[in-house]
Amino acid sequence: MRSVEIPTCEMVTDLIGNYVHMLDDGNVGVWPEFFTVSGLYHVTTRENYEQGLPIGIIRCVGRGMMTDRVKAFHTANIFEPHCYNHLVGPAMIRGGRTPEAIASRCNFQIVRIMEDGRTALFATGKYLDEIVLDGGVAKFKERVVVLDSRNVDTLIVLPL
Amino acid sequence: MPIVAPSLQVSSDDFRWPAEGVTRAPYRLFTDREIYQREQRRIFRGSAWNFLGLEVELPNPGDTKTATVGETPVIVTRDGDGMIHAMVNRCAHKGALVCLKKKDNVSSLTCVYHAWNYELDGRLKSVAFRNGVRGQGGMPGDFDASRHRLQPLRVETFCGVIFGTFSENLEGAESYLGPDMAAFIKRNLGRPLRVLGTHSQTIHNNWKLYAENLRDSYHATLLHTFYTTFKVNRLDMDGGIVLSDRKWHHLSFARRAQMTEAAEYRNSNVHSASYDSVLEGPGLLKAWEEFDDGITHSIQTVFPNMCIQFTLNSLAIRFFAPRGVDKTELFWIYLGYERDSEEQSQMRIMQSNLTGAAGLVSLEDGCINEFVQRGTRADPQCSSFMEMGGREVGSEKNSRATETAVRGFWQGYRKIMGF
Repeated sequence: MRSVEIPTCEMVTDLIGNYVHMLDDGNVGVWPEFFTVSGLYHVTTRENYEQGLPIGIIRCVGRGMMTDRVKAFHTANIFEPHCYNHLVGPAMIRGGRTPEAIASRCNFQIVRIMEDGRTALFATGKYLDEIVLDGGVAKFKERVVVLDSRNVDTLIVLPL
Repeated sequence: MPIVAPSLQVSSDDFRWPAEGVTRAPYRLFTDREIYQREQRRIFRGSAWNFLGLEVELPNPGDTKTATVGETPVIVTRDGDGMIHAMVNRCAHKGALVCLKKKDNVSSLTCVYHAWNYELDGRLKSVAFRNGVRGQGGMPGDFDASRHRLQPLRVETFCGVIFGTFSENLEGAESYLGPDMAAFIKRNLGRPLRVLGTHSQTIHNNWKLYAENLRDSYHATLLHTFYTTFKVNRLDMDGGIVLSDRKWHHLSFARRAQMTEAAEYRNSNVHSASYDSVLEGPGLLKAWEEFDDGITHSIQTVFPNMCIQFTLNSLAIRFFAPRGVDKTELFWIYLGYERDSEEQSQMRIMQSNLTGAAGLVSLEDGCINEFVQRGTRADPQCSSFMEMGGREVGSEKNSRATETAVRGFWQGYRKIMGF
């Protein structure tokens, strides 16, 4: 029997840490690379998630849709410039839904900083991840971002 | 006569609309607290049908939901006989909120403060310790429970939409909508619905800026550049605008199949046409022709607080509640039909990326009205200028390069406000 290669705990925590530093540093261009080619990125609210409702706030199925979001961010969408500061809690790491995947859950808080200096808590919630090895590198096969609140202040254009 | 310090004396009586009429909207309308209070009285608690919710949100007897009409908190219920009721969410005793949950299922409504208990239609059922405790205390002998109830709203449903009003004299909801608006609501909502998801957005602007924005077909393809580039909605598509009799509701529609690229988009260096139109995730715009009228994009408003959006196959209700003179909560209810196949549901789910708080198309509306709020607040005496498409207020069957529906909003607004 061939054993299945799975990400180590260190790889998982590195992936989660690198992800938020990438976003907080404004390197949104490489954001899709954190996912497998067919990976899922889904932002929803706790209310939708607990009721099993399929539409949340963002749903990208595959890296192509994520790339389109990045492109729209750079060239199409109009918004007041801002950046994020993520604070991520410890990951709870378990076996994933499939043998090659690791499941991870961690809390986050995101502070949003507007260009004029206004700084405020923007979002809280949890990341529910399925993480696999892709060419020896840990990537999100799935990242479901469950926001605690039903309400978003102003808009979301940068990934969370 | 009450004595009020001069600095606190505020009045909208001195308010005069500019002589140019509805081609101008004074900026004061977006910041004046006295006008805001007058709107609460004359519009939200006055002669208008407010969107309260959808019947599909209350499928079972005993289901309740909370909502607001303007700033007034209300409860919407379905009683044991299946009837929908709405009432002010305020106990007849001390005025506390009776319902706190967004949704619930209960056999009766109980205020947590002193346990006054109400039927699902708002009638007072029982009062705790009415006859006192051990013969002491209790309500006076002439206490009449039938004279104390949760203040009711008039409720009507149309195509599964629950409308409520405080007015006793206002015409019925369908006649308030008028034949053209009612017919299109039937087209979009006239079959069993399924809620696919909800969320809300806080926008930092006066509610009327969003009401204008919904009716502003001129901006849609200039600000929302994603729209234009992927040919979901452009002003050179066949389409038009229909206004209701009183001009305050509107319907803007387009047919995607009938687009001939106008030179203006190519030649005028319009920012929105310069975006590379190849999607790497084409699943986003996978769509099917759902109706035989060829309309693939529509936005319909119902004064004061409701909008129905049908973009390709993405059906959603947007409604909003003022949360102060410069703050508004905008709600999204994404819908499908019960009859939808799994594949159709999937297309609606993917297309939901176009709108909402992070909508590839619509996210700009989260900030653009705030930009107007911030741009105008220092100069309440100045006015906006709205003469695109002329100065008239009327339906425009062949063009959406017009502000006619925005002027229509102001026409209806002036009348109901007495301005």
